[in-house]
This record gives sequence, C-alpha cells and structure tokens, in this order.
Amino acid sequence: MDKEFTTISIPTSLVKQIEESIQGTDVSSVSSYIAKIVREALSKKDAEPDVFSKEDEEKVKERLKALGYID
Amino acid sequence: MAQLKRKILIIGLDSAPAEIVIDRRAEFPVLRGLIEGGFHGTMRSSDPPITIPAWMVMTTGKDPGRLGLYGFRHRTGYSYDKMWIATAQAFKERAIWDVVGDHGGQSCLVSIPPSYPPRKVPGHLISCFITPDSEKEYTYPAGLRQEIESRFGPYAFDVVFRTENRDVILKEIYDMTAKRFEVLHYLMTTKPWNLFMFVEIGVDRVQHAFWKYMDTKHRLYQRGNRYENVILDYYRFLDRKIGELLAVAGEETIVLVVSDHGAKRMKGAFCINDWLIEEGDLVLKEIPKRGASIEKTAVDWPKTKAWGWGGYYARLFLNVEGREPQGVIKPEDYEKERDRLTERLKAIRGPRGEAWETRVIKPNEYFDEVRGDYPDLMVYFDDLYWRSAGTLGYGTRYLLENDTGPDDAVHAQEGMYILYDPEEKVSRRKKIDILDVAPTVLHALGLPVPSDMKGKIFNG
Repeated sequence: MDKEFTTISIPTSLVKQIEESIQGTDVSSVSSYIAKIVREALSKKDAEPDVFSKEDEEKVKERLKALGYID
Repeated sequence: MAQLKRKILIIGLDSAPAEIVIDRRAEFPVLRGLIEGGFHGTMRSSDPPITIPAWMVMTTGKDPGRLGLYGFRHRTGYSYDKMWIATAQAFKERAIWDVVGDHGGQSCLVSIPPSYPPRKVPGHLISCFITPDSEKEYTYPAGLRQEIESRFGPYAFDVVFRTENRDVILKEIYDMTAKRFEVLHYLMTTKPWNLFMFVEIGVDRVQHAFWKYMDTKHRLYQRGNRYENVILDYYRFLDRKIGELLAVAGEETIVLVVSDHGAKRMKGAFCINDWLIEEGDLVLKEIPKRGASIEKTAVDWPKTKAWGWGGYYARLFLNVEGREPQGVIKPEDYEKERDRLTERLKAIRGPRGEAWETRVIKPNEYFDEVRGDYPDLMVYFDDLYWRSAGTLGYGTRYLLENDTGPDDAVHAQEGMYILYDPEEKVSRRKKIDILDVAPTVLHALGLPVPSDMKGKIFNG
C-alpha cells in the first residue's frame, strides 16, 4: 500500500454523489473509495457499455446454455 | 401513511419442490418447525415456470404478460436471428421493496434474479447469477461490494456447469452456499431492514446435477449409487443454515420460505425444429450438422411457416407476411395456421407411442395484457417432463439427454411455500398462486396492497 498521499480537486457535487453511494457501508472515506475505483479503472483495458459488453453477453449466454435455460 | 409494523425474512429456494421440502419435512427440523406453525403447501408458478420471470412475478405481483418477460432471452422485435437477454433493467414494474421504501422501510436483497446490473433500492442489494463476473459492480450502494469483499473475498454468484465431474460441482455448490450464508448473516446483523430477501440458487443447481441419482423413477437411477443422498444432504445442510439465520432474524420476524417453481425428473428433450421440418413447416437450404443452432442454419424463409426455440419450454414463432422480414403466412390466415399448429403439437406422442399431456399457450389470449417480445405459442411438452431442444439435425424427434449437456431434472409448474408468523401460529396446508405472494407479504407488514396486484392475501 502507498504511504504517501497528495491532495486532488474534484467538483463538490461529485463528492456528494460518492458520499451517497457509500452511505450505510463501512467504506471509511470518499478518498479511499476514489482511490479504489481509480485503481480499478486503470487496470481495465476497455471501456464497458451500460449492461453487457459483447464479451459479457457471450459469457452469460454460455452459462445459461450450460444451465439448460437456453440452447 | 401506513406504518411498518413487522419485519419479514423471505428465504428463496430456487426450484425447490413441495415433494421434498414439505413432504419430507421429518428430515429437516428447522423447516418442519415452520411448516407445523404456519401456512404451507404448493404454489402454482407463473407461465412459464422459469427463474426469469418467476421471481419478478412473485415480487411485483404482476404476471409475465404485464412484465413483458417470457424467459431469459427474447427475440428482438420480429427478427429471425436477433435476441436479447433479460437483465434487471428489463423490469420496470415496482416490487414489494419499493412499497416498503415508500413507507420509510429498508430492504436487504441478495441475489434475486435478475438483479444485475444493480439498481438503486431503498436499502442494500447484491446482484444475482446473471452477473458476468465478480469484477463488475454488483452491489447497491456500490461501496457495499468492497465491504463484503474485504471480509469474505469475491462473492460467488453461481457454479460452473461445464464439468462432468460431479464431485467438483458439489463442492462448488457447498462453498457458494456456505459463503452466501456468511454474507447474509453479516448483512442481517449490520444493516437496517424490514424486508430481508435472498435466493439460494444452489438448490436448483444441486437438483439439476444430481436428480437422477435420487429419483427412483428416473430412467438412469441406480439403487445404492454413491450420490443417492446428495440432494437430501444438501437440504439438511440448508436447514441448519436457515436455523442459524433465524436465530439472528429476531423472534418476532415473519418467515416466508418459497420457491419460484418446482422440479421433477427429465424424461428427455423433444427436437422441436426437427419435428417442424418433418411436418413441412420449416424448410432448410442445407442439411444441418447434428446439434446445429437454428440461428446458424440456412433457413429457406420464403417456404417456412414456423420455427422454434428450446429450453425448459418451447417458444414457437410464425413467419407472417408484413411482420417477419420474409413472412409467408397471410395475416388473415394467422389464427387458422396457429390453431392448426396447436392441434398438431397437442397430438404429439412419446417415443413409445405414449400419450403426452402437452400444454400450448397463446400468450396474447392467455394474459390480460401482453407487453414486450412475446412468442406466438408457448409449449410445455408432456407437462414439462420433456424439455425442448431448439438445436437441430438429430434425425430424430427424441433425445434422451439435454441437447446442451446432461441434465437430470426439468422444471415443474408447482413450487412450494411456507408462511410462518410467530404471532399467529397455525398449521394449515393450502394451495396458493405465485401472484398471491406480493399482496400477502405487504399485508403481513401492515402495508396497503396496490390495486393492480391481482393476487389474493392467502392467509387473510
């Protein structure tokens, strides 16, 4: 884990949205949450569409086939 | 405004039949206690009795026609080869947790199909087995994922059915269920809730993988086989886990144990498209390879009147002029052609000439309202004992195994339920309908029942 930190600026409206999405959970702060999602975003190769990417859809279809729901 | 007077825990056991949970209750001490103090019995599932749409029919109190959902996948409009998979975004109707939220209540909702992508709910939500993988956002609020993973590791949505190794599947099912109950225990004790609902998909998976080892009527059953007790052992394990959960749910909490449909032995798969070819309704431009999918087969559309899809039930589509891209049935002949096909489907017999109890549904007549991409006919071959193979090129109408891999069990129309209210103990067996669940739950919580829910309050 990194030990050194710095300050960045983001719109306060965004902070409010993040506060809402971590409310009632044990995520300790907006900063730690942002650090987590930025790390995830950096590790992703491709941007994802809303629900299923082509790859996701195939994955789900194959699973549904194996389960007998579709053929 | 109505006050939320009570709390309810809804334990969803995907695919659990009354023949196991109710009839063999002597083997499940916790469930037996609930049965002997509550309403219980069979619950008639939706048409079709399939995981999607059944859980949403149950929690919205609206039938599949109103929801516009007839299974996992749907044809896109009237195209021949485009389809879409139903996700949580396909469900627009309000569910019981929305009504609970209207009255200031909170819900914990775990793995109720379909709940991917996760949507905003009054409370907390973890998505279901249609989540592509645990790298995706799968909770509401989004931060709940990190909270869960930091304690329990990645959430297990389902098991992989690609292996023939039954021991591997069984271990995965137990691991998944054990982890789910740890998560449930955590949510139940740390989050506020008036409604707590989860669906355990492991029940369905263990039945599909091990039914033939248990059911003496299954054609492949062998007395004394090593997996004979697997299904009942799993139910005993669940019974213990449910007991542990009830211990933290609170003595005043109402408990509903319910399945989305039942299960029974599979007799085989009926090759709907090979049959339509024999009948002259479906014409191909090529001789298909064994097991080819209809979407990847060259169909001679200007000569084709009908084609079908497989699954636990069959969906049939007519090729209608002005509707399908190369339709041939004249709109004025549609009803006549559909009736003729219906009669022929009902007359189909089994491989030994035995009569079948085949049910054929015309969605636009059967439902009060039909929305979305509904098929022309829905068919349950031999009361669902025979699943439908949509793949073709087998040179026979009958396959003794699933066209997409071994599968010992099919769906049954009747599921089961137990409603236990610690403040009103009764022991009463009663048949209910899946549409009765939502109004009964809202009534039990002291909330008004929306007028567009057609079901009845069954314990009233």
